Amino acid sequence: MALVKLNDLEIEVEDGTNIVEAARQHGIEVPHYCYHPGLSRPANCRMCLVEPYGPIPGAPPGTIGPARQLATGCTTTVRTAPPDRKLDDKYDAIVQTDSPRVKKAREDILEFLLVHHPLDCPVCDQAGECDLQDYSYRHGSDKSRYLEVKNVPPKKDLGPDVLLYSTRCVVCTRCIRFAEEVSGTGELGLINRGSHDEIDIPRSHEGVPLQVLDNKLAGNVVDICPVGALISKDFLFKSRPWFMEKANSVCSGCSVGCNITVEYKADGVYRLKPRFHEDINQHWMCDDGRLGYHYVNSDDRLQLPLKRVDDELMPTHWADALTVIQEQLSEVAAEDIVVIGSAQGTNEDNYVLQQFAHDVLQTTQLGLFGQLPGEEHKFPQFTIEADKNPNTAGARTILGSANGNVVLEDEALWEKVSGAKVVYLVSGAPERPLEDAEKAALENVEFLIVQDILPSEVTQLADVVLPGTTFAEKDGTFTNSTGWVQRIRKTIDPPGEARVDWEITQQLAKQLGGEMNYHFAGEIALAIAENVPDYADTTHQKIGDAGIKLA
Amino acid sequence: MVEERRILYEHLDVPDINTFDVFRQYDGYTRFEKAIAEYQPEEIAQMVLDSGLKGRGGAGFSTGEKWSFVPRDIKPCYLCCNADESEPGTFSNRYVLEKNPHLLIEGILICCYAMGIETTYIYIRGEFTLGKKMLDAAIKEAYEKGYLGKDIRGTGLNVDIYSHPGAGAYICGEETGLIESLEGKRGQPRNKPPFPAVEGVFRKPTVVQNVETLCNLPFIVGNGVEWYTQMGPTYADTRFDPPKPDANTGTKLYCISGDVNEPGVYELDLGLTCTELIEVAGGLRGEEVKAVIPGGSSAPILTHYELDTRLDFTSLTLAKSMLGSGGIIVMNETRNIVDCLLNIMKFYAHESCGQCTPCRWGTPWVRDIVQRIADGNGRKDTITRPKFGVAENGRWGDTGETEEIYEDLDLLESVANNIANVDTMTWNTICVFGIAVSWPAVSYMRKFRPEFEATIREGKLVTLPVAEATVPPEENYAYQQRFVPKEFADL
Repeated sequence: MALVKLNDLEIEVEDGTNIVEAARQHGIEVPHYCYHPGLSRPANCRMCLVEPYGPIPGAPPGTIGPARQLATGCTTTVRTAPPDRKLDDKYDAIVQTDSPRVKKAREDILEFLLVHHPLDCPVCDQAGECDLQDYSYRHGSDKSRYLEVKNVPPKKDLGPDVLLYSTRCVVCTRCIRFAEEVSGTGELGLINRGSHDEIDIPRSHEGVPLQVLDNKLAGNVVDICPVGALISKDFLFKSRPWFMEKANSVCSGCSVGCNITVEYKADGVYRLKPRFHEDINQHWMCDDGRLGYHYVNSDDRLQLPLKRVDDELMPTHWADALTVIQEQLSEVAAEDIVVIGSAQGTNEDNYVLQQFAHDVLQTTQLGLFGQLPGEEHKFPQFTIEADKNPNTAGARTILGSANGNVVLEDEALWEKVSGAKVVYLVSGAPERPLEDAEKAALENVEFLIVQDILPSEVTQLADVVLPGTTFAEKDGTFTNSTGWVQRIRKTIDPPGEARVDWEITQQLAKQLGGEMNYHFAGEIALAIAENVPDYADTTHQKIGDAGIKLA
Repeated sequence: MVEERRILYEHLDVPDINTFDVFRQYDGYTRFEKAIAEYQPEEIAQMVLDSGLKGRGGAGFSTGEKWSFVPRDIKPCYLCCNADESEPGTFSNRYVLEKNPHLLIEGILICCYAMGIETTYIYIRGEFTLGKKMLDAAIKEAYEKGYLGKDIRGTGLNVDIYSHPGAGAYICGEETGLIESLEGKRGQPRNKPPFPAVEGVFRKPTVVQNVETLCNLPFIVGNGVEWYTQMGPTYADTRFDPPKPDANTGTKLYCISGDVNEPGVYELDLGLTCTELIEVAGGLRGEEVKAVIPGGSSAPILTHYELDTRLDFTSLTLAKSMLGSGGIIVMNETRNIVDCLLNIMKFYAHESCGQCTPCRWGTPWVRDIVQRIADGNGRKDTITRPKFGVAENGRWGDTGETEEIYEDLDLLESVANNIANVDTMTWNTICVFGIAVSWPAVSYMRKFRPEFEATIREGKLVTLPVAEATVPPEENYAYQQRFVPKEFADL
């Protein structure tokens, strides 16, 4: 640990920490554009200049003073100094981040950054979360001295989801470094020189793109762009950032379990952004996850329970749907019932489901359903996993917890299904195509209860359809492929009469005379912690935003 | 009358000196042979340190000291010869490359022997097509004669030289920009530290030396340190106790251009004054000297009041200018300083690599301001601000005096100083390109302020007579701010 005197604070930081991070850890902002903790440090924006102190050359030993040159905080790291080189006999470094010189330098740099900037904040997507705005407000000058003609480089289409407003670009090269270091695809580069620097993709002399920014991590360049230069087409002109509310959650796109922030308004989810987690996704998420939220806002969402009347699914009300199910279930023997949980559902959903199966239906025939595996994509610093369910590991453990860990999957499951009379299938994976064997097995079932969020191949076969909820509409926990248990949070209300999955199951249990009385997801998590051996620590309070890794 | 002292250029005019056989007749490679026969590598390095040889590329950093920073236990170590001579007003290296490339190869061999280097890259300016052709031929010949390659002259010394042409960027003359370009990347300078001596080409220790510096080595080895230190002044830096010798030894290839009768490259001892130099170059063309640029276009300008300044590294540093690459441009009374500044600023705005913010957007801004002034659109304001003093009625009060404010000159100075502050010698940029921009901008404007003011006032380029174009040093704060430590005052 190095002892650093930062302004008036005496702080201890780990060796090798740079000044920007050391200051951030102690609540002091050192403004920066090009520096990003997940990328290399070219120190080209010159915004993070700080004033280091050191021995004054030529002065008597022991005299220290500010260095002649300011240093960039991002590349200046602090280390424990040998005893004879301590400053003031104890400090390993002395740094000023708010001296008049530093303030002046920041103001000057900001002035330069703004000379060619179009100042089109009223129509800029980044407005409200823009480092240029924030730092101008905090560190900039209140007037412009630039009278000359501004550069107007063209707007460019870089790829399927990324637009470049070159006029707003501050040439921090974060996006270039991302494409080189994290995705390893290297589509981006600088063209021209000096004040005509522009970010671009490779193009022929006629301007025809030779390569586009279409890798599966491309959306991250929009996040790391400190200004409004790189813009997501998906979010363009959809909403002002300050009108959206935010909730920390976990991506449901695959079993990596990227930490995300869901940004939403009352009428739906607007975008997903990655949230830092050191061991899981660092600063990044993939485009499949980022752009995969649209089904949440779909107009086709199931809003009312459906029941089959004369071979057609007709809307009905909850009481009716539950009564129909009760009639069917009460006539069937336990061994003829199969209950299938969902790898898309939370641990809480699945816990209530297995409790319902064991305590109320008294069946041990539990299965697991979910999205089919996709393709694995490996990048130098990121992996998109093949398992497209966020909670396969969790659902498997939780469903099997009271069952000797026997959960039916794949062929064994469909074999069981084809011989069953009643199947209660919680899907949550509406896009999953059914193979012929699976379809045949489900067609064989006398009475099929499906709980899903959108009309799907499974709901078409159902006798009763119950409208469930997506990850954005409920609280709960997911367990990712590496054993991290993390929380998702409710953002928007479910559409229409749709209900949270575990509530539906609980309602059904009550209808059948079961004793189950959970009020909120956290309560179920406590029950899980009590009854599932691996999950002893996973209460919502303990999980928090950081997650808990299972032993 | 000062005489030229030709050392590097001694045999430059000998026909076919670019061939091995002729070069050999004029002591070629004997100095290298002497080095490997008589001295240990460390002794050569010590000789270079003792000779006080300063890097001729521009920064004037002691070569021996630079070599001492190179860690000797990390291999491979590289030598990078900077032949990307692109400072406007400088053209001395190209004659060495075109006419006497073997001298450079000999210098490289000595450096490689001293530093234990086996691979040398010569980064040669792309426009020097003839120089590259001659150099490549010389390298080929040296390989054939066994002075390059494996086991040179049976000594076990291996040296390979690769020549690499630049692609026409000024910034690739900056040592780390050069290294980046050599590695095949965009020519953008690196952050320092680490310095190239510790982490240079391919992240290995690298000695980066200018052509002229390397060409000095054969003569230091051949004629000895004592002979070398006789040339040029050695000052005493009394900031140290005992005073540290501040050597400006050796000769310098001064490239004299502009308004002189015989422009060209002159090899002279360091420490001559501007006046002497103009005399050597055939005298002034025109009536009187208006200004002298002492070290390439990035050096602050000297006025006719400063013609007694000695052209060596220390004296010019004390005069708040620099010797730089030794590109001396003389201007007579017909030259318009605003126009000169515009010319230089156009060059720098075009050559900024665009890596860091202040330079990328500050440099074209400075150019645009100067362009506006030169176009006659400079902003001026006459304001009446209360100026307290004894008024006409004999009473203490507002004298009602008006003051002329030249907004664009203040803006020019402020913007240039924001890129790199010439008063404190600090820069917010990654490399010293920033100071190369603001130095001329601020110094021209401060020292020739009357001419700038007249141009703004008249709305067109106005060339004032020399006596009026600049103000005497005692009235001009550009001179007054000149930082002269008292230890140096007796110079």
